[in-house]
Amino acid sequence: MKFNIDDLPVLFPYPRIYPEQYAYMCDLKRTLDAGGHCVLEMPSGTGKTVSLLSLIIAYQQYYPEHRKLIYCSRTMSEIEKALAELKALMKYREEQLGRSEEFRGLGLTSRKNLCIHPSVRREKSGAIVDARCRSLTAGFVKEKKERGEDVANLDLLEPHNLIPNGVWTLDGIMRYGEEHKQCPYFTSRRMMSFCNVIIYSYHYLLDPKIADRVSKELSKDCIVVFDEAHNIDNVCIESLSTDITEDSLRKATRGAQNLENKIMQMKDTDADKLKNEYAKLVEGLRDAGDARDEDAFMANPALPDDLLKEAVPGNIRRAEHFVAFLKRFVEYLKTRMKVRQVISETPPSFLAHLKEYTFIEKKPLRFCAERLTSLVRTLELTNIEDYQPLQDVATFATLVATYEKGFLLILEPYETDTAEVPNPVLHFTCLDAAIAIKPVFERFSSVIITSGTLSPLEMYPKMLGFTTVVQESYSMTLARRSFLPMIVTRGADQIPMSSGFQVRNEAGVVGNYGRLLTEFAKLTPDGLVVFFPSYLYMESIISMWQGMGILDEIWKYKLILVETPDAQETSLALETYRTACCNGRGAILLCVARGKVSEGIDFDHQYGRAVLCIGVPFQYTESRILKARLEFLRETYRIRENDFLSFDAMRHAAQCLGRVLRGKDDYGVMVLADRRFLKKRNQLPKWINQALVEGEVNLSTDMAAGAAKKFLRSMAQPFKASDQEGISTWSLRDLERFKEKQEEEAIRALQEESANAGDTMQGIREGNEAVVNEVAVGNAADEFDDDELEAEMMQMGGG
Amino acid sequence: MCSTCVDRIFTSGPTSCPVPHCGKTLRKKGFHKAFFGDLKVEREVDIRKRVGEVFNRRQDEFETLLDWNNYLEEVESLVFDLVEGTQKEKAEAEQKLRAYRTMNLRDIEENRKAGLEEADQERRREDEEKEAAKRRRLETLREEQEAKLDVEKSRRDVLERMANTDEDPNIISQQAQKVILKKSSARRKMADTATESNGSARDPNLTIRGLKKKIAPVLEKPYDPFGGIDLAPSRYALQDHYDNEWLAGAKNDARHMAGGYSLKEYYARTMFEAFSGLGVFIEEEVVNRGPPVTSPAVATAAAAEASGGRIKLGHKMELDDVF
Repeated sequence: MKFNIDDLPVLFPYPRIYPEQYAYMCDLKRTLDAGGHCVLEMPSGTGKTVSLLSLIIAYQQYYPEHRKLIYCSRTMSEIEKALAELKALMKYREEQLGRSEEFRGLGLTSRKNLCIHPSVRREKSGAIVDARCRSLTAGFVKEKKERGEDVANLDLLEPHNLIPNGVWTLDGIMRYGEEHKQCPYFTSRRMMSFCNVIIYSYHYLLDPKIADRVSKELSKDCIVVFDEAHNIDNVCIESLSTDITEDSLRKATRGAQNLENKIMQMKDTDADKLKNEYAKLVEGLRDAGDARDEDAFMANPALPDDLLKEAVPGNIRRAEHFVAFLKRFVEYLKTRMKVRQVISETPPSFLAHLKEYTFIEKKPLRFCAERLTSLVRTLELTNIEDYQPLQDVATFATLVATYEKGFLLILEPYETDTAEVPNPVLHFTCLDAAIAIKPVFERFSSVIITSGTLSPLEMYPKMLGFTTVVQESYSMTLARRSFLPMIVTRGADQIPMSSGFQVRNEAGVVGNYGRLLTEFAKLTPDGLVVFFPSYLYMESIISMWQGMGILDEIWKYKLILVETPDAQETSLALETYRTACCNGRGAILLCVARGKVSEGIDFDHQYGRAVLCIGVPFQYTESRILKARLEFLRETYRIRENDFLSFDAMRHAAQCLGRVLRGKDDYGVMVLADRRFLKKRNQLPKWINQALVEGEVNLSTDMAAGAAKKFLRSMAQPFKASDQEGISTWSLRDLERFKEKQEEEAIRALQEESANAGDTMQGIREGNEAVVNEVAVGNAADEFDDDELEAEMMQMGGG
Repeated sequence: MCSTCVDRIFTSGPTSCPVPHCGKTLRKKGFHKAFFGDLKVEREVDIRKRVGEVFNRRQDEFETLLDWNNYLEEVESLVFDLVEGTQKEKAEAEQKLRAYRTMNLRDIEENRKAGLEEADQERRREDEEKEAAKRRRLETLREEQEAKLDVEKSRRDVLERMANTDEDPNIISQQAQKVILKKSSARRKMADTATESNGSARDPNLTIRGLKKKIAPVLEKPYDPFGGIDLAPSRYALQDHYDNEWLAGAKNDARHMAGGYSLKEYYARTMFEAFSGLGVFIEEEVVNRGPPVTSPAVATAAAAEASGGRIKLGHKMELDDVF
C-alpha cells in the first residue's frame, strides 16, 4: 500500500492499515520534521514496529540527509522480530520501486550470540566468550602476529571485507560469516557506521561502559527509537548502579595483586612500555592528536567531559602508585563492609570519611576507571575476566567521585531482616534515571520513546529530564468490542477483595480470589493467565488454596502451571502451557507481574483468552533502595511517593493486561481484581480505559462471571475480516477518503478563520459609516453562519 | 598486640619494646586500634598521615596543572619510599621530610588551617541540607494528614446533615464531593506554588551540578599606604648577587661589611637608577603639542637597543608592556 503523508511517500507492506497506525505515522513525521523528542503510546498488537519502520525508512530514503535509524529494543526475541519485519518491509519496497535501494540494516548482539569460532562458541557463559574473544582479537595480539609471532588463527575472526547491501537478520549474518570466514560480531561492529538501520538492545546505548565502546561514534542526526520503553527508567538506573559484595572485593584484591606482579614483570622485561604510558598520561588522557572534539563522540556519564581535558593526577600516574592506590581503596571498602548495621550515606559523606581514613582525594578517584583501562591496555592483559571485579570497583570509584547528587550508598549487612549470618552488600544505587540517558538526549536530535503502556505520559519526560514536541496516546479502533476489561472489587459474598498488606492473608479474601479463579476457569475457553504481585504472595496464596480445596476444584477444568524465578523451569512450564492450550481444555498459568512472563511473552489467540490480575502489583516498599529513590523523586522532581508507586504498579498491571490482546482479530477478557483499582483506573492506558464501561468497574465475582460469559458468547459468533473494513482497518480507498475529509475540514477551518478575520477587518473599515450599514453587515455574517451550519448538517446526514 | 597486653605492659608509663633486641621506648599513647584488616595498608596509611601533615600544599598554590601533578607524584614517591623502600631509601625519605618541614613551617600551618576550615564548611553545608530535607518531609506529611482530616470531617458533616435535615441525600453527597474536590485541588495548587517559590533546590532545572565551589571571602589585608601600587621593579629582577670585579673586593672585605653595609641596597639603587626613565617617552607626552618625530614603536625599539647592554643583567625585560 502506498500513500503520502504531506509530501512524503510511504510504502506500507500490507494492503490494509489501521487508523491508529496512520495517526501514529503522522505524529512520527511531525516529530522528525520538528526535530525533537516524543513519547507515543500505541495499543499493543496494533503493528507499532512496522509503522515505525515503514515511516522512518520512507523518511530516510526520501530526504537527502539519510538520517540513520537506531532502533533499540529490550529482548533478543524482540530484536529478531524487528529485523524480520524490516526485512519484509525492504522486500516490499524493492518490489514496489522496482529497484533495490542503497540500504543496509544490521542487528547487533553479544559476542556469545554471534561467535563462529569453532571452540570459543561452545563456551556457555557470555563473560568467558567475551574474554576469549578479546584474547584472540585485541590490538596487541594482532601486532604480535604482524611481527611473525605465533598466535591463534586470526583470519577466521577478522573481517576482510564488508558485507553487501541488504537487511541482515542475526541468523543471516551468522550464515554469511560462516561462508566467508569472517566474524559476524566484528562485521556488525565495523559496519555500524555504514548502515542505515541498526537494531540492538538498550544497553548498547544506555550502559556507559558499553556505549562508550559501541555507540559513541554515531552521528548526531540519528533517529533513536526506544521500543517497549515503559521500563526505560529502570534500565537507566540499573546501568549506573553497582553492588559490591565481600566476594567481589576479595577478587578485586586478587586482581590488584596480579596487576602488581605484572607490573613488576614488565619493569624487568619491557620497561619502555610503562614509560611510554607514563609520558602519555603526563599529557592528558587523550593525547592532543585525537582530542575529543565536542561533536565526534557521545558523552559518557561515567567519564565526564572535563575529565578528558585534564591530565591524570600525579599521584596515580605511575603504575605502581596506582595499584597501591587501588589496594588502599579496596581495603577501605572491606573495612566498611564489616559494619553490622545498615548505613545509607551520600557520596560526599562517603568521600569525606574515605579521605579521613585513607587520604584518598576525590580527584584521583574520578580518574580511577580510565586509569585502570589504560594500565590494562599497557600491560596487554588478555584474561580480562580476572580483572572484572577490579574494574567494577574502579567504575564505582569514578561514579562516586563524580556525582554528588542522584546517587546513594546503602550498606546492608544482612540479606533479610531476620538473617543471622552476615552477607554484606554495598549497594551503590543510582536514583536519577536522567543521568544515564542524558547523553542520548543531548546528542541525538530525535529520540522516540514508544510502548503499549506509557500512561501517564507526562511521567516519563519528568523522570528522564527531557522535553517533548509530541506526546500522544492512541485509542484502539475496533469494529466489535474485542476485549472486555473489568474491575472486580468484591466476592460474591460482598467482602471486598484486596491484596493490601493488612488483609491479604485473610481467609475470606483468599477464598474470594480462589472462587474468582474457579469461575473463570469454568467459563474461559483455552488459556487463562493469572498475575500475582509477587512470588512470595503467590506461594502463600497457592498453599492456602490447596488447604481450602480450591485447587482441586480448578483441576477439574484446567491444568495448572506456575512460573518460578528459575528461567528454565519457567520456559518448560510455558511450553507445557502452550501445548495444553492447543489440545484439550486448556490451562492456567500462574505468574508474577514483574516476572519474565509479564514482559515480552505474548499470549495471543487461544493462548490467552482471559487474564486475571490478582492484586495491585506494587513494588516491595520496604526495600531501602526503593525508599531512597522515592525520597529522591520527591525532592528533585516533585513526584509524590504514592503517585510514583501507583504509576509503577499500574504500568505493570497494564503490561500484564496487554499480554492477552495481540491484534485486532484477537479477543480476551481482562480482569483487575482488587478494590484499589477503582481509584487508579485513570492511570490505565487510554485504550484500555476507554473500553472500560462504567457498568463494569465495580463488580462482584458473580457479576463479572456473567459479563464475561456474555462477552465470550458474542465473541464466538463468526466474524469476517470484511466486517472490520473501513472501521478498524483501512484500505487505500478508506485512507484517501479520510484524508480528503481531513483536508476539507482543514480548509473549512481556514475559511472560517479568514471569514472571521474578514468580518473584523470590515468592521474596522466601516466602523465610521452609518449604523444601518453595520447592522447589514451583522446580518450578512449571521446568514453566512447559518449557511455553514446547514452545510455541516447536510454532510452529517450524508455520512 | 592485643589491647589487654598493651594495658598490662604500658599502664605504668613508657617501657621498652617487648620484642627482643628492639630496645625502642614505647608509650601507650602510640598504640591505636587497626582500622584496616590488612596491616600493611594500616601502616601505609599511618605514614601517609604523617606525610600528609607536612606536604599539604593545595592545588591553587600552583601555577599550572602540570606542576601540581608533578608535586603530587613527588609526594607519592616519597610515601612509596617510606613504605616499601630499602633501609637507605627510607632514611633518605625521612631526611627529606624533615628538611621540608623545617623549610616550610609557615605554609604548612596555613594550609592546615585552610583545610580544616574547608572541611568544617562542607560539614555545615551538609547538615543544613539534611535539615532542609527533613523539614520538607515533615511538611508534606503534615499536609497529607490535614487532607485526610478534612475528608473525614466533611464526611461527618454530610452524615450529620443527612440525619438532621430532610434535604435530598443525593444532593448533599454530591455537594460534599464537590467541596472535597475543590479543597484538595486548592491545596495542591497552594503546595505547588509554595514549592515553586521557595524550593529552588527541588526544581530540576535550577539545581546545577558541578558548580564551582564559592571562593571564600579573602581575609582583609593589612592597610596598604601605597594604595596597591606595586613597588617591585617590573623591568628587571633584582638578583642576590652580581659578578663585578670592583664589588667583589668590597664584599669580602670585613671593613666594608662590618658596619652593616648591605650590598643589596647598593644593587637595588644602582639597578633602579639604571632603569628609571625607561619606558617614559617624552615624544608621547609631547604628542599633543606637535607631530612626533618618530613613531612610538621605533622609539621602543631604540630604547630596547640602547638598554641592550643591561638587559643581560635583568632577567625579564618586557618590551611590549609599554602600550
